[in-house]
Amino acid sequence: MFELLSRTLRYVFIILIYYFLYNFLKIMIADLRGEKTQPKETGFILLDDDGNRYTLFDINTIGRADDADIIINDPFISSKHALIFKRGSKLLIQDLHSTNGTFLNNKKVTRPLRLKENDEITLGTKKFKFLRSETLGAEDRSYLQ
Amino acid sequence: MEPRTEAIYNKNIAITALVGILASLLLAFKEGVFSPVPLYGSLIFILILFIGHFLTNYLFPNQDPALFILCCFISQLGLIMLYRINSESALKQLIWFGIGFFLYFISSFVCRNWIEIKVGSLIFFITTAALLASPLLFGVELYGSKSWIAFDNVLFQPSEFAKITFSLFLADSLKNHKIEKPIYFFGQIFVVLALLALARDLGGAMLFYFAALTIIFAATSRWDLTALGLIGAGVAGILGYQFFGHVRVRAKAWLNPWEDVPGKGYQIVQSLFAIAEGGFFGTGLGLGRPDYIPAVTTDFIFSAFFEEFGFLGAAALIVVYFLLVYRGIKISLSIENSFLCLSALGITVFFGIQIFTIIGGVIKLIPMTGVTLPFMSYGGSSMVMSFISLGILNGIKMRASGGEADG
Repeated sequence: MFELLSRTLRYVFIILIYYFLYNFLKIMIADLRGEKTQPKETGFILLDDDGNRYTLFDINTIGRADDADIIINDPFISSKHALIFKRGSKLLIQDLHSTNGTFLNNKKVTRPLRLKENDEITLGTKKFKFLRSETLGAEDRSYLQ
Repeated sequence: MEPRTEAIYNKNIAITALVGILASLLLAFKEGVFSPVPLYGSLIFILILFIGHFLTNYLFPNQDPALFILCCFISQLGLIMLYRINSESALKQLIWFGIGFFLYFISSFVCRNWIEIKVGSLIFFITTAALLASPLLFGVELYGSKSWIAFDNVLFQPSEFAKITFSLFLADSLKNHKIEKPIYFFGQIFVVLALLALARDLGGAMLFYFAALTIIFAATSRWDLTALGLIGAGVAGILGYQFFGHVRVRAKAWLNPWEDVPGKGYQIVQSLFAIAEGGFFGTGLGLGRPDYIPAVTTDFIFSAFFEEFGFLGAAALIVVYFLLVYRGIKISLSIENSFLCLSALGITVFFGIQIFTIIGGVIKLIPMTGVTLPFMSYGGSSMVMSFISLGILNGIKMRASGGEADG
């Protein structure tokens, strides 16, 4: 009796073990695919005066052009105005030879400069604030109270 | 966590529980009459599994849940095999599993709020050396190596804990991606290896050596050092063969176990018989003869598993171990901070080399060395330390995804 049970159940065990493996491999493949195509979020955002947020990824071009990563329709902003990119664990801003210039805390950006939390970025006439996405989440909640 | 991934994790938890219940019901009927002991054991295991998974997921939303599920799955297969071989040791192992989970939780928590350790590599080195020297001073000799300390009946192997401190030591020494003060650094590694060799724990020495080599290569990307290290390993192997009788026996048993079947080759021959008996689907749980294999609860548990779950089951087990190592390397790659990155890599590399050494040993791919199979072999310190290592890995993952303070 026990022998018969055990002999039948061994196939069940193997099927279950392989089903377990299949599920994990599915996650693994999804992981690897996701890593390749999805840009990584850096955990930082830009906030403009109207309250719009722009999530920052590893590389972001900002401008009026349709293929810019962050599109801002403003006559004083060039088609490819500025670039925010990640180097190591830091985010840097660089001006892309824009007509009206890029300013970090009211200083003109001529070479790549490091961004710190609460920095103010001016593109043309538009002002942006550089924030951690979590701090903003916390502020949002405080507004509700 | 995405809902789709979460559903898959939940499904895998259910599969683990189902395997446990089926196996324990089967084992309950083994003696012909129904005995509920394995069923109770299995229910306790499932309880820990459920609490562990959902509690840690609730408390640590950005942890890596796969680590816990994978190691529970392996531990469960180990517990099933242990119960089938010797029900008393399975009970003890279940207690160790519970303690292990608790420490996994604690070490995850501590590591997440890791107050950046600024003690430096010297402290890590001294801890490692002290841990390895302690059994030499007041240890007991067991299975031919003096690497155990006894606290009233509970045997503890300090070299298991030294694996963690040694990875931290390497990570801290190499965090600037170059070897500063090479003579000093290699001197420290040499002292660690010499202490292991003095305890005649040659399997352990090999483990530490290759782990150090891998981490040095990962940190500095220097081919010349790696080539030198591999040549050094070859020379050490030849010297060991010449001067340690111990090593010569193992090497001869590996090259031709059939020369002396009742003597030197006995262990490996029995292991190979068990594997051959298993075939593709195995003999079925409870129908193999693990009592013929020596040291079956510790070193040779993989052969016993192979016999009863067959080639397909054993191959799947190796893939589960591979997944565990894959998750570790993935965590290590996702981290910017080089100290944490190398620590995660060190812990993963120790797992990987240990698994390769013991599984390779029992299937006669490489000479047999007495290291444990993590999560599966019977033994408290191995189980507990494997859980703590995984907990540290999980903590490092949470630190990385929680937004780091500095790079």
